Amino acid sequence: MTTSMGTPPTALIASATPRRRRTPAAAGARRRAALAGYTFVLPGFALYALVMLYPAVQTFLLSLRDWKIGRGAVSPWVGLDNYVEAFQDPKFLDSLLNALVYTVVTVPLQIAIGLFLAVLLDSKLPGRVAFRVLFYLPVVTSWVVVSLLFQFMFSSGDGPANFIAVDVLHLADENIGWFRERWTSFIAICALGVWKGIGWAMLIFLAALTAVPRELHEAAALDGAGAGKRFWHVSVPAIRGALAVVVILLVIGGFNVFISVLLMTGGAHDTQVPLTYMYTQAFEFLEFGYGSAISFTLTAIVLAVSALQYWWTRRRMAD
Amino acid sequence: MDMVGSRRRRALSYAVRYAFLVVAAFILVYPFLFMVSTSLKSRSFVLGDPMKLIPDEPTIENYVRVLTTENFGLYFLNSTMVAVASTFLIVLLSSMMAYAFTRLEFPGRRILFACIVVGLTIPTMMLIIPQFLLARDLQLLNSLAGLVPFYVGTALAFNTFLLSGFFQGIPKELDEAMEIDGAGPWRRYVSLALPLSKPALGTCVIFAFLGTWDEFAWALTVLNDVEQRTLPIAIALFHGQHSTSWGLVFAASLIAIVPVLIVYIVFQRFFVAGLASGAIKN
Amino acid sequence: MAHPGVIGSHIADMRTMKFRVKGKRVKTLKQLAPLAALGVAALALGGCTAGGETGSSGIGQPGATDISGTVTFWHAFSTDSTEVATLEDVLIPAFEDRFPDVDVKAVAVPYDELHQKLITAVAGDQLPDLVRADIIWVPELAELGVLEPLSASMPDFQEIADKVFPGPLATNRWKGEYYGLPLGTNTRVTMYNADVFAAAGVEVPATFEELLAAAPALKAAGAYAFADNGASGWNVLPWIWSAGGDIVDPDVTKASGYLNSPESVAGVQMLVDLYQGGYLPPIILGDAGGLSTSDGLVQGDYATIYDGPWMYPIFAGQYPDFELHDAPVFAGAGGSISVVGGEDVVLTSSSQNKAAAAEFLRYLLSEEAQLAMAKVGVMPVLSGLGSDLTGINPNFATFVEQLANARPRPATPAWPKIDALIQDEIRAAIRGDKTVQEALDDAAKQADELLAEYN
Repeated sequence: MTTSMGTPPTALIASATPRRRRTPAAAGARRRAALAGYTFVLPGFALYALVMLYPAVQTFLLSLRDWKIGRGAVSPWVGLDNYVEAFQDPKFLDSLLNALVYTVVTVPLQIAIGLFLAVLLDSKLPGRVAFRVLFYLPVVTSWVVVSLLFQFMFSSGDGPANFIAVDVLHLADENIGWFRERWTSFIAICALGVWKGIGWAMLIFLAALTAVPRELHEAAALDGAGAGKRFWHVSVPAIRGALAVVVILLVIGGFNVFISVLLMTGGAHDTQVPLTYMYTQAFEFLEFGYGSAISFTLTAIVLAVSALQYWWTRRRMAD
Repeated sequence: MDMVGSRRRRALSYAVRYAFLVVAAFILVYPFLFMVSTSLKSRSFVLGDPMKLIPDEPTIENYVRVLTTENFGLYFLNSTMVAVASTFLIVLLSSMMAYAFTRLEFPGRRILFACIVVGLTIPTMMLIIPQFLLARDLQLLNSLAGLVPFYVGTALAFNTFLLSGFFQGIPKELDEAMEIDGAGPWRRYVSLALPLSKPALGTCVIFAFLGTWDEFAWALTVLNDVEQRTLPIAIALFHGQHSTSWGLVFAASLIAIVPVLIVYIVFQRFFVAGLASGAIKN
Repeated sequence: MAHPGVIGSHIADMRTMKFRVKGKRVKTLKQLAPLAALGVAALALGGCTAGGETGSSGIGQPGATDISGTVTFWHAFSTDSTEVATLEDVLIPAFEDRFPDVDVKAVAVPYDELHQKLITAVAGDQLPDLVRADIIWVPELAELGVLEPLSASMPDFQEIADKVFPGPLATNRWKGEYYGLPLGTNTRVTMYNADVFAAAGVEVPATFEELLAAAPALKAAGAYAFADNGASGWNVLPWIWSAGGDIVDPDVTKASGYLNSPESVAGVQMLVDLYQGGYLPPIILGDAGGLSTSDGLVQGDYATIYDGPWMYPIFAGQYPDFELHDAPVFAGAGGSISVVGGEDVVLTSSSQNKAAAAEFLRYLLSEEAQLAMAKVGVMPVLSGLGSDLTGINPNFATFVEQLANARPRPATPAWPKIDALIQDEIRAAIRGDKTVQEALDDAAKQADELLAEYN
């Protein structure tokens, strides 16, 4: 019996369609099925294409020009110059590195902790609803508010972060100026990212875990498997699909980190990430062509990474 | 099995779980508690001592000021209407698409799905000017109703992707059984896919509502009139150019969180174990 | 040739009524109708100008009684502030009483997002009639061609211009024309903690030398002599100008010879010396989690800071027990010269109701309106009100004195980029990565390239 999220949606693209008998009756049925398919897909897809794909194409075309706004402005064609400039721009390359570090640090942590909490809450524990709500609170609190709070907590003076770092963990002798340097700033930014994302990941895992048929757990328990074994051999395979989805989405989100960096450091001390750099270029310096080229480069990289992930999960599925 | 031993083992496992949960809850909730604490202070241009969560002279004056701000109720209503309409459409359209992609055969299925996945990687911030021009040309500027198509369109990729994953896990045999019984795709969608994926749909509703309720940048860009203002814009306007009374902002933010929490509490009921098991037995 | 084909753009040349439609999308007759209406309206407004004004920009003589319609006015006053209360409960009703057929719609936009919203509106041709813009945005908007050149199209422009402070007025100048009028102004002055000075046993310094001399004693008393939270123009210009230096030449064409002049170097050197001596805290290099200047001043960690008139009500609200004192900025070889901040009011060239908008603009610059705003802490721009001001608001005293010779930041669309690179270079100098001369030489070179684009 197939379980809840046994195969990830990415397998969908790879699944081969079975050979059909070429008879008129079958052709009619195929046409009806296709019609049904289109009726289901096209309303949503049309809206999506209009609101996202069409502007995305325009943004790409924009990136091939030195786009100027304003009345009667002329936007000269520059071809790939913006892209060439981007790859030679040390600030842009630094921003990519920052986004990579952020992703590599925050994604595993969100998954590990989110999954752990989801497992803890996936049982008939009294009060689990209260805990579910509490864990979700960070997700619903606005970025403006939490960025301010985290700035405050990572204060260069006697704040909670310094309390933990100096007095509890003895990582440093005196208070650390978190936002005075690049990588310590990123510790704060990553902490914020993980803190805010745990509840989100937990939610998805919880939904996936609760869809696992109880019989499977019961069968495993009867076979003498303890909680740990049951987790590894029943839950994890069952949520492999959810896991793949979450990883892809979190990686995309990690590379696209924007508002938290903008609000926490504003890009100071080389903490720019690609989207904050794009924002500065486009809206402060009015370099729209260059800003669009930066976003597209980022999108291309993220797409490549996601494609790699999907291919890798496909291979794992095939095992 | 030894009854007393197993009871003791269960109690111990509960205790351990609770310990982890409480620690995690404290860490995750602490900043929120600090928000509440600051919102109950009267002088709050500066954030006070983080170790002191209980204010010296708690006062609800911030909440009173927020709730009696002119038009605050209107902004709340505006946000509610937009969020409800958008959430409904998002869940409907993305579940339809997800069902089609996972259970229906039609030419171009793979390409269309790939287009959807590509949309996940596009950061919406970079689309803001072309989208603004589009909204202008479609005469959707400066209207709450005009927000809905944009909110729905930009959320479809994510929710379709998410739901596809869940739909994929519904046993194909159930679908085929219903098809043999003569049920058309719509019937299978409504009577089989939707009920079986309640946890997934619940997740969708929660995320869609949160996304549209909180959305700020786009609403700010296209809305001008006071009557159209949504809650996030109203809250941002509590910030001053040179200073901000954080107690006021936090109080407003906390009030704004309430509907989101309500939606969450209502829809997380769907996360009930064993939904699929009943179906398998049939 | 112009925008990408898929984004059509229309250019209506109002003088000749020719409509050029660029881009592949062909406009249907229905879509051209609003443009035609705009054209007709422009003609009609043009016809209204009495006094034989050439160029039908639509702004009439002051006090014209036939104006009507809606005027949208974007501002960044926060909800629940005394400023917005004055605007909506005092100024707008008073204006609408005088001109009953005009409806002024004030739209509040959060300050941090106002610039982005303006830029997007420019791209989509959706600007309002009037905007209360930060002074540094005016040259940029003027360069984009979206502002009305008031010095050319407003008949009574010179009359009004003569009544306002020259510094704030200059922020509206771009390529020989003035694209707005100042609305509110402010500047930075020294704010100090008297108790810290008493404890250290030193007088409050008035000059660079006195500051350096007093610094060790202040440090012994546990306080930094001076603190600021950045090294951009707003922060360092008082030091550069007071030292006798400058950033660019008067025509804003180049920075070399000005930004890296010996006097400018001396000004920045002051900051470097203070930092190296441990008399300036690291927040100048950027520290989002550091002790803010206002908190530090109250707590006695910072002996002096530079800040604006808005701090008085803030301190009164947050630290009612603290007595705030102020003084002119530290004087160097060039005197005590500070930097002008504030807002200008601009009229957009796409406005469809310029006559009424201009009238509201005139009202905002009237003595009545300026005094009303002065009562809630917005410093007026009318030079004639100077003596009344301390009567209205005693806290304004030092600011009025400082405003007499305060200078605006260079009025050029390249300013945001130049500002950013000045901050980077000066921070490098403070950190010790470069000498001040090297840093300013590099900054001047980069600034020259940026300025060349507009000259």
